[in-house]
Amino acid sequence: MLPKIIERDDLRAFVEALLADNVVVAPIRKGEKYVFSEVETFDEIALDYNISLLSPKKFFYPQIETVLKFKIGDRPESQAITEASPVIIFGIHPCDIAATWLLDEVFKEDPADPNYLEKRKKAVLIGLNCAQPCDEFSFCRDMGSYNVEEGFDLMLTDLGEKYFVEIGSKLGEEILVEGAHFRDATSGDLKDRQAYQEKKETNFVKRIPYDTKFLPEILEESYDSLVWDAIAKRCFSCGSCNIVCPTCYCFNVTDEVAASAAEGERKRVWDSCQLAEFTEVAGGEVFREERSSRLRHRFFRKGKWLLERYGKLGCVGCGRCDRNCLVKINSVEVYTQLAGEPVQ
Amino acid sequence: MKPKVAFFSFTSCEGCQLMFLNLEDELLDLLGLVEIVNFREAMKEVLADEYDIAFVEGSITTHSDIEEVEDIRKRTKILIAFGACATIGGINAIKNFQPLDDVRKYVYDRDWDKIDTVPTMSVDQVVDVDCYIHGCPVDKKEILDVVTSVILGKTPRVPDYPVCVECKLAENVCVFDKGLVCLGPVTRAGCSAICPTFGNKCLGCRGIISDPNVNAEKDLLAERGLSIDDILKEFRMFDGLSEVSK
Repeated sequence: MLPKIIERDDLRAFVEALLADNVVVAPIRKGEKYVFSEVETFDEIALDYNISLLSPKKFFYPQIETVLKFKIGDRPESQAITEASPVIIFGIHPCDIAATWLLDEVFKEDPADPNYLEKRKKAVLIGLNCAQPCDEFSFCRDMGSYNVEEGFDLMLTDLGEKYFVEIGSKLGEEILVEGAHFRDATSGDLKDRQAYQEKKETNFVKRIPYDTKFLPEILEESYDSLVWDAIAKRCFSCGSCNIVCPTCYCFNVTDEVAASAAEGERKRVWDSCQLAEFTEVAGGEVFREERSSRLRHRFFRKGKWLLERYGKLGCVGCGRCDRNCLVKINSVEVYTQLAGEPVQ
Repeated sequence: MKPKVAFFSFTSCEGCQLMFLNLEDELLDLLGLVEIVNFREAMKEVLADEYDIAFVEGSITTHSDIEEVEDIRKRTKILIAFGACATIGGINAIKNFQPLDDVRKYVYDRDWDKIDTVPTMSVDQVVDVDCYIHGCPVDKKEILDVVTSVILGKTPRVPDYPVCVECKLAENVCVFDKGLVCLGPVTRAGCSAICPTFGNKCLGCRGIISDPNVNAEKDLLAERGLSIDDILKEFRMFDGLSEVSK
């Protein structure tokens, strides 16, 4: 589908048209940071946000979600719960779009996850391109997620007085019609978009001193590296890196019984492989008792195992893990140190 | 027959018992499951002296407390340490870092030597505890989880990971990012990070997790300008009995 243009001044009218009959979530300010939250007016939207605390995955895969309601007693019953309502996610950045692609792959794999997929199906993704990295924690260029060609319904690129609009799906095209503030991009607009891209390519720099396609091999060679022990010494195992990660998808399942002890709800809650409890099995055995083995597990998931399984890195380089790490464990540093290790 | 439930209180503000009474929407359902036989804060009658479940609130701080809780233990099948004072000693343990006689003089003035006291202990330092409901005050959801679990014969789930997990789930701005310090990285979760969610810092009221990275926390607090004394004060607010406060 050919790209469109919307004038800067018309964006408000377009978003307001969306707001009139849809639930729209967008980045808004929270203290010094940003979160994706439902908005009621265009002015609430922080178009210039760098990165949200949690990624918009929370709209397809909520932090806490009821998946089953049950009755206990003489006649036990249970009913699976799948709740999904339409939502427009406005302003999602390329890294988070790339992360959504990975989550889609994971959750549609057999057995498919209806709770995720139903919500995902009802979500419209309107992307917002980034002209420069969020901050010193971003390594999206290394992970190849600073540009996305697909995975969005619309993608807006800020060209100053106008936005360049790429259409990624039939749904995206339909929304445009609804807005009716768009015109076809001219060759002049395409040139402006090209100039934006050239500038963008210089703004985003690689930070890992090798191509990330070598990550699986480097990790493979680093399984027994002392780097894991060294960083584990300061790791809290607080799980923050997992909880803020846009590609982490592990959850725990708990049953909450009502005060009557006759009924209850089964909930799934985001979990973290950094917690000792994560690998605890019946009988109390914990498979990854050492912090270092839990840390290593996370990096292997991101840099090796998911790539081998889904054909894409399990990390989009958004840097949320590192930004939220109180003890400054830094992915780029870890990957760099691993490569500097003598091969055993 | 419904399990017999009793409530007992030692050194505490008795606010955790109040949290039980605050379960207004669930109280009638709970009374369908259990029979409350001794609950001074809620009723005059004492209907039994043997209990299936005893909620023991408060720290143990006198010789008579010791005798009393030992006696309760003998008459109880499942003893639940109820609230921070009972589970970890809580703020009552602050006195353990001062000479006991100084504390007595300060509190009781000229009659200080007539009033007995011992260094503050958590309930499990005196008797076996079967189950813990942490927090200052306890979380209503956890009370329900424990009561229904006991009724159904399940083991209640007590988190043993840091508050950071729940704080991130709540999408809070990190307390450290606001220029404050926080005990969340080493404190047991289960409170839904209620204090950071409402703009405060974590004070450690649910106790220290079983595998804390204490050195990392102390380094972190020192990096934010706290002296050794300041750091110990942070820990000793609620966690005076823990290794971290030594």
